[in-house]
Amino acid sequence: MITPTGLFRARETPLHHAPAWFKVLLLLATTVAVIMLDDPVSSLGIMAACLLLLVSTQPPARTTTVAMVGTLVVAALTSAIHLWRGDWARAVDVSADLIAVVALALAVAASTAMTAMLDLVSTLARPIRVILPPETLGLMFALLLRALPEVAQIYLESRQAARARGFDRNLRALLYPTTTRTVGFALELGQAIHARGIGEEGDQIESGKRRARRSRRSSAGRDATVSASHTPGAGTGIGSDEA
Amino acid sequence: MIEFKDAGVTAPDTGVTILKPTSLTLTERRVSVIGANGGGKSTLVRLINGLIPATTGSVEVDGLDVARKGPEVRRKVGFLFTDPSAQLIMPTAIEDVMLSLRRTIKDRDERTRAALDALEEMGLGDRADVAVGSLSGGQRQLLALAGVLAVTPSILVADEPTTLLDLRWRAHVGALLRSLPVQLIEVTHDLDSAARAERTIVIDDGAVAFDGDPAEAVRFYRDLMFGRTTRTAAP
Repeated sequence: MITPTGLFRARETPLHHAPAWFKVLLLLATTVAVIMLDDPVSSLGIMAACLLLLVSTQPPARTTTVAMVGTLVVAALTSAIHLWRGDWARAVDVSADLIAVVALALAVAASTAMTAMLDLVSTLARPIRVILPPETLGLMFALLLRALPEVAQIYLESRQAARARGFDRNLRALLYPTTTRTVGFALELGQAIHARGIGEEGDQIESGKRRARRSRRSSAGRDATVSASHTPGAGTGIGSDEA
Repeated sequence: MIEFKDAGVTAPDTGVTILKPTSLTLTERRVSVIGANGGGKSTLVRLINGLIPATTGSVEVDGLDVARKGPEVRRKVGFLFTDPSAQLIMPTAIEDVMLSLRRTIKDRDERTRAALDALEEMGLGDRADVAVGSLSGGQRQLLALAGVLAVTPSILVADEPTTLLDLRWRAHVGALLRSLPVQLIEVTHDLDSAARAERTIVIDDGAVAFDGDPAEAVRFYRDLMFGRTTRTAAP
């Protein structure tokens, strides 16, 4: 099974030690820079730097080669079109830009643990915490990436099963098992997340300030429960931490 | 200690009784649960950490009501599923264990070291950076176990943890589970493994059919399956 983010390897390289926000910012800045710059020499320079960064992260050879070969093919085709139109500078510029961005993206993926990315997504999502808790968004991001290869695998197995039964062209024979198994996988995954206590109360790295706020809130809640328990009909779950 | 107080489960949409009101007190360190498919074994053990809520009665773990103190209970109770693939969320082995530790260890370097230690303990130290999808079934189950044990639960519920494994992995994972310093509640179809527990519960048709000595329980279960005995109420 291929995992879209299975590129990460724990290593002791400068990029591994850099914070996730810096690497994402670097990727964004580089992307903007290569789009803005039309000069082929600058593009080649940026491409060389990105390739060096990628090599410095010591990424897994096979996965990286596959990704880079694919990019080279696309770059070659794009260049061919520009060369055919007689614009060699544009051909060099576009190809170098594409290779640079993909190489840097691979370098970021190879040097950033998924958990670090998850924390970054949670941090970035803080402004919309009223609508969606940052931890939930981070978890959704991780689950999305987790689900993609699994659903692809389910699809492939369902297609093989349909073929084995002679239903090569029957869409229902493909869609029904794919859908039901995907739903089944989602339910199992949901139970596993629940069992591991992920996304539940306490499943976040709290800052000192936030912890103090929570502690103040819970002590206020306890006081309310204590005072309520002295009134008739009290004790109906106030202050409980129901899941 | 796990206490079922008339805990039962009825399907809300169909009204079908999945588990009849059951009262049990589990204090033994090794408890096995056996029974036919669809009998209610998984439902019984899922009540322990609130994966399935009791529709009647209640379940308590170390005095904590599962319905009211779910998150606290789940910090005490680890759960190992039959299919580890559903339990593993992150792309690589070390990242998945680090996810479990997110709640307890703030510092990332410390978390990485703790995750590596947890993997080493399971014999997966050299597979830390390997994509989860590239691991064998047995290695995935060990990884799922590493993720569960990393947060040091006092109780481990294992729902047929060796069913999908080959003989070699089955023996390895089984021995590992029995050696853990936690209370182990194991649902299993492996009768040899069930007989090694201190207490065995036979579940049949949504009720406890036998509860007691493992060897007698296994004998009872064999007779029940082959029609040599009738269902009896638990002692």
